[in-house]
Amino acid sequence: MIDLIFRRPIFLLAIVVMAQVMLLAYQIKGEHDVRLLRYWAVALITPIERVGTSSTSKVGGVWSGYVGLHGARSENNQMRAELDQLRIRNRELESQAAEAKRLEAILNFRDAHPEAQLLAAEVIGSSSDPTSHTLFINRGERDRLRVNLGVITSEGIVGKIVEVLPNTSQVLLINDKDSGVGAMFGATRTHGVVKGSGDPEPHMDYVVNDEKVTAGDAIVTSGEDHIFPKDLPIGVVREAKPGSPFQIIRVQPAARLDRLEDVIVLLTQQPLTPLKPAAAASAAGSADQPAPAKTAAPQN
Amino acid sequence: MLNMSEHSDRNIEVHKFYNGAIFAVCLLALVFQAFLHKYGRWSELIDLPLLVTIYFGFSRRNPISGMFLGGTIGILQDALSHDNPIGMYGIAKTIVGYAASSIGGRIDTEHPVSRFGLIFVFFHFHQVILVITQRVLLNHSARLFTWQLLIDSLVTAAFGVVLFALLDRLRRSS
Repeated sequence: MIDLIFRRPIFLLAIVVMAQVMLLAYQIKGEHDVRLLRYWAVALITPIERVGTSSTSKVGGVWSGYVGLHGARSENNQMRAELDQLRIRNRELESQAAEAKRLEAILNFRDAHPEAQLLAAEVIGSSSDPTSHTLFINRGERDRLRVNLGVITSEGIVGKIVEVLPNTSQVLLINDKDSGVGAMFGATRTHGVVKGSGDPEPHMDYVVNDEKVTAGDAIVTSGEDHIFPKDLPIGVVREAKPGSPFQIIRVQPAARLDRLEDVIVLLTQQPLTPLKPAAAASAAGSADQPAPAKTAAPQN
Repeated sequence: MLNMSEHSDRNIEVHKFYNGAIFAVCLLALVFQAFLHKYGRWSELIDLPLLVTIYFGFSRRNPISGMFLGGTIGILQDALSHDNPIGMYGIAKTIVGYAASSIGGRIDTEHPVSRFGLIFVFFHFHQVILVITQRVLLNHSARLFTWQLLIDSLVTAAFGVVLFALLDRLRRSS
């Protein structure tokens, strides 16, 4: 039998494929997850990604500051070398300033919400599946994280935690096709659901055609999903057109989901006190894209 | 008695690699795919794990090892995503690994033009298996062809020709 299998590898192929089909059926029918396999895969890949993330900025600085200039000829070698060194130093300072700016935004957010339990985390990688919009962060069970905690930046919400490992967690972004966030318009307080579609921009569903929606309208969390507190910025309306039976509303996320480096994990679902004007200006001023001011509407 | 080297009868050159090269390349392909994905959608144009599966299939020319390598890479890719059930990419890459190994023993896979064509074909073959799996087993709607997929396949094929030339350097001279 074994001899036959190895002489005719097509039989072995059929067995291997059939085994995977059965594994698929086991997961789908019984709604089981093969968590151990995912655990091993993440444990294998994320340490390398973590090293890659931390060294990218250093290698990038060396590349642009030194290697990029390596081919340039100079009549005054001494002055050019000095200039190179200054440029490298400048790159380092720029990199540090950018990092300080990001951390300042997080700090301002924390200062503005002293009552909330927040935890800063660093993005260390993402899914290798092109259709999946997920990230890995460097916090896990040992930091008291658990599934369904919200993840935000000072600009707006990012997603929720869907998998927790000892030192790592997986975050489902709001533009993933499986994501859904309870949302409402900041001005009219009309409710809907912001859903991912796999594209960079999510959509807001369940808004009737009679509702007047214009580009630029702020969208905030409604708190109905029991993951995000009320009134956190989600984004703004990029485009709205009539659909059947509801409007088709494309949303530009407030957080830059394709350029995330540092995020904040909300350890509770406790509502956040709205930002005071001075704190809001400070938090918004330190971010690249300021969150819309009207999204920080007062709560009852 | 087991006869695992059927291809040896056909006088086909089987390429060997330095110790650990296959493992390291497969691991790096998965890491790079995940790492680049973090920095924007352009990286989605290229399917590195698929390219690695095809390359080692062509080079090793052993359907059994090609199948298991493809299957392992696919299952790891599934495991790293939150929503894919384990086996979706696994099935597709198992079959692609088997097919690439079988074809590698029959036609020229060393010339850049034939590599470009074969990668292009295998990209769409992989996509067909994925779509069938999604529609039949998972009851998901998935599209067999889009213009974006065509662009992806052309970019992947062009990148694959360069990548294969680089990976050729890992071959051990016999």
